[in-house]
Amino acid sequence: MKEELKNLVEMATEEAKSIKTENDYLNIKSKYLGKKSKLSEYMSSLKDMTVEDKKKYGPLFNKIKNDLEALFTNYYENAINGEEKITFDPTIPADEKNGSLHPVTIVAKEITDILKNIGFMVLEGPEMESDYYNFVALNVPKNHPARDMQDTYWLDNGALLRTHTSPVQARAMEKYGAPIKMCVPGRVFRNEDLDASHENTFFQLEGMVIDKNISISNVIYVMKGMLREVFKQDVEVRLRPGFFPFVEPGFELDCSCTICNGKGCPTCKNSGWIELCPCGMVHPEVLKMSGVDPEEYTGFAFGLGLTRMAMMKYKISDIRGFNSGDLRFLDQFNVR
Amino acid sequence: MKISCNILKKHIKNSDKIDFLNIWDKFTIRSAEVEGIEIKGQNFDNVVTAKIIECEKHPKSEKLSILKVDTGEEVLQIVCGAPNVRVGLIGALIKIGGHIDDITISKRPLVGIDSYGMMCSGKELGISDDHSGIIELPEDTPIGIDIKKILPIEDIIVEIDNKSLTHRPDLWGHYGIAREIAAITGTELLPLELADVNYDGKELNVTIENPDLCYRYTSLKIDNIKNSKTPLWMQIFLYYAGMKSINLTVDLTNYIMLELGQPMHAFDSRKVNNIEIGLAKAGDKYTTLDGIERTLTDHDLMIKNDSKYIAIAGIMGGLDSEIIDDTDSIILESACFEASTVRKTAISQGLRTEASTRYEKSLDPNLTIIASKRFLRLLKDENPDLTLGSALTDVYPNEFKEKEVILNKSLLYRYFDFELEDEAVKHILESLEFKVEIKKDYFKVIVPTFRATKDVTIAADLIEEIGRIYGYENFVPKPVKMDLNFVKQEPAYDEGYIVKNYLATKYNCHEVHTYLWNKTSFLKEINITKDNVKLLGKSEDNILRDDLNLSLLEVAFNNIKYYDEFNIMEIGTIIKDNENHKMLSILLCGPQKDLKNLYNKAKEMTVNILRNLKNKTPIFDFGSSETYYNQDLIQDIIVDNNIIGQIKTFNKNVNNKISKKHTFVVLEIDFEKYLNFDLDKTNYQEISKYPSTELDYTIIMKRGEYYDKLSKILDEFTSPIIINRKLVDIYLEEKTKKITIRYIVGSKEKTLTSEELQNFKDEFIKFLIKNELNIVKE
Repeated sequence: MKEELKNLVEMATEEAKSIKTENDYLNIKSKYLGKKSKLSEYMSSLKDMTVEDKKKYGPLFNKIKNDLEALFTNYYENAINGEEKITFDPTIPADEKNGSLHPVTIVAKEITDILKNIGFMVLEGPEMESDYYNFVALNVPKNHPARDMQDTYWLDNGALLRTHTSPVQARAMEKYGAPIKMCVPGRVFRNEDLDASHENTFFQLEGMVIDKNISISNVIYVMKGMLREVFKQDVEVRLRPGFFPFVEPGFELDCSCTICNGKGCPTCKNSGWIELCPCGMVHPEVLKMSGVDPEEYTGFAFGLGLTRMAMMKYKISDIRGFNSGDLRFLDQFNVR
Repeated sequence: MKISCNILKKHIKNSDKIDFLNIWDKFTIRSAEVEGIEIKGQNFDNVVTAKIIECEKHPKSEKLSILKVDTGEEVLQIVCGAPNVRVGLIGALIKIGGHIDDITISKRPLVGIDSYGMMCSGKELGISDDHSGIIELPEDTPIGIDIKKILPIEDIIVEIDNKSLTHRPDLWGHYGIAREIAAITGTELLPLELADVNYDGKELNVTIENPDLCYRYTSLKIDNIKNSKTPLWMQIFLYYAGMKSINLTVDLTNYIMLELGQPMHAFDSRKVNNIEIGLAKAGDKYTTLDGIERTLTDHDLMIKNDSKYIAIAGIMGGLDSEIIDDTDSIILESACFEASTVRKTAISQGLRTEASTRYEKSLDPNLTIIASKRFLRLLKDENPDLTLGSALTDVYPNEFKEKEVILNKSLLYRYFDFELEDEAVKHILESLEFKVEIKKDYFKVIVPTFRATKDVTIAADLIEEIGRIYGYENFVPKPVKMDLNFVKQEPAYDEGYIVKNYLATKYNCHEVHTYLWNKTSFLKEINITKDNVKLLGKSEDNILRDDLNLSLLEVAFNNIKYYDEFNIMEIGTIIKDNENHKMLSILLCGPQKDLKNLYNKAKEMTVNILRNLKNKTPIFDFGSSETYYNQDLIQDIIVDNNIIGQIKTFNKNVNNKISKKHTFVVLEIDFEKYLNFDLDKTNYQEISKYPSTELDYTIIMKRGEYYDKLSKILDEFTSPIIINRKLVDIYLEEKTKKITIRYIVGSKEKTLTSEELQNFKDEFIKFLIKNELNIVKE
């Protein structure tokens, strides 16, 4: 019996699809639900059934009857009302008119978000900067050879275009004192000739943490963690001595090459390491000049090349695209 | 800087225990960055010393000779084209089966005569650039011996990044590098072999006029230098280190500089009597060794002989005091000059030499004596009969002493986050030649003079020394422990990002980055002149920008070749009145006929930025700006009675110079003013439960009149039942402009009665009549 009912419903469902006119509708109704229909026969056989079977089949017959009736009506109404005639092509591709954020903005957002997660403030600072904040407050007095390391754009008003985001270290300490955790994404300037790997205008991200017990072990932890979050994979880092007047000890931080995982490839010049970010313990003189007591506080600072990070992330080999304003370059990026 | 491992080995005890090929990774993380390693002497094999015992001209060739060459084991016939062949010459012979630069040597005929090998030039052996003839070995060279056994041809040359040595004057010579290697590997640095200077006679006449610029001047007259030939091992070393061999005395000054880091100079003693070290007279001319006549300034420190210049101190000697090959007597200079003086002169004269590079690093004044004695020692090796012409003359007005630095243990442990044993600290520092006394709470450290000139002066410097030799890789990363405080973010970065993201997603804006200066050629192109703060030392692209819109216009100009319609934006710095200002600028580019749409789009963007991101409603009014903008289309953006920006287009001249087909609308907002606005609270109003009514009126104005005029009049009409008024349509006729406005009227308390509605309509019509406005009657 069950099998028969199932077949009946299947046949009726199939046949319902062909309902086009009122006639079709009446015919199919009469065929499946009318007095002479199979279903009627079953229903009239109920009276001869056992009480148990009656309980079982009675509601089932009714359900089938109602369902089929609704189905036929539905098809019929659809047939007479009809869907609107489609006048467009639903298969044409989406209109891809999109805006874009600059790749450096996207990378800066990623990294500042990571640092905000561990409580960093995100600060900014002026691009036209004074000699004091760019050099003197960072322990680079007049005539210091370190001034040569950074080919500075000097201005006719005595100011300069900042050569790094580090001046904001001093500005932040003056404004907020210690303890402090802060980072500064920003644009910096070096008087260099342009080529595929040199720009006179590029982006850095400065970071600094100052508190009572900041150690070299903390530098390694924070840098490693930050890079793991940035690259979304575990990276090895190594510190080697590096000289920057505003840190002591100063380090160059290398991370294991994310292309070859440290095995050696052209990107890392077969060394397995990529020089990523100068960092170090904030020089006691720098703390002192900005009003933080170096006896009480220590801190670390780092400078990450944001433009460089963007080049690594998107595998951009020519730095000149970044400031070109060329929409063929920029359009490829999204908003995150 | 190029470092020869052969030279390093000379200075380290038991150096055979060190793997000189693989030590450099460690050196990189302990001391300074290694840029490359080159293995020398790999390009050939099977080369032995051999003596020419017969030499005849080739019968069929002008240039070739036929040699009989004795290799000790056999006599071979060699055909050779070198001009310097002669009987008795001992040279280097590559035998049959030997290789040179991937070529296998075999028996082969040269113009019909078989040659059983080849005599090599210095260039072929990779030990000099000399290819003018075959190499000539000293007469006492034994024959039949592998050339690599008697000459230091096999070497490992290590290139160290100069930039990683700027703070380490001690590492500008092999001896200093050897000291580091010894400390890193736990081996012992050997003392230098020095000559004693025993001379009872007179000192040289030396006067230092500026003791603040010349810390020390050590000199010595040496006579009877008969042999001026540099030994081959030294020639090979100098060649590997990138220097040219000249003659023994000059080569030795260079050798000492490369070995110890102390630049030296040798004067022809026939030309020097009284040495004075003092400043030049401004404007004086002086011709240096390189033949260039230079104009001096009164900052340039000079070496003078009887008041005549003979060298620029620490940089380069003069043409007229150059060592001539026929001299056998020199005056040796070994001096210490103040770093920034040398640096300044080197930069201003555009003359950066090996010597000046070293002086700029602040050399140890105590090196001058050591270097002089080392020079004499090596010179004696080649000239055992030399004599001294003076006592070692040492003018040293202010002695530079070792420095004492106290390192508190608590500070060391704070920097490290762990405690290092006292003995370990002492051992590390002593391996670098610091002297250490362990006290209860601190270490008393004496810094050797070669580290004390500027590199190591405070406790943190010592911590670096201990940390790097202990090995940063042995530090265990530790999370920062800090108080849990709430961090207040400054708005600039976040708000900038939010606006840019909003514009990119909602208005398809592309963010661009443009330079802080105007591009001269572009301004010329569009015939705009600007004056502002300037970059020094540049004549093009040197004026800082005061208008971000022009930067965006330049970007647009470069993009219209590829795109007809686009929106670009930047939040960037401009310099105005000598101050940094941050601006948000948006440029909309489209076909010229779309000006109206673009302009309205810019307005919509303005309203939406301020409404969506700040809950502010801006109003607009006509404003003014630079003449390169279309003066009729400048609208100020006003928020809370402050002008915070403008919407404008470029004037026809500028626009058409960029493109006759395109038009550009800019929207600029002073981003600092924008940041200063608080986010207003959303003004929430309960939705009325009662129906409202729409009333449309079409008001007739003159064709040239702006909507704004009408709007301002209508603002005067008030009624408690007005919910909203908006512009529905503008219809232009020949002489009139028909403006349809719509009032939505209603009440929160009740449904308006027809009297109330009629009342409103009557009042409004009365108001229109009073203001002489006509409406289109339905």
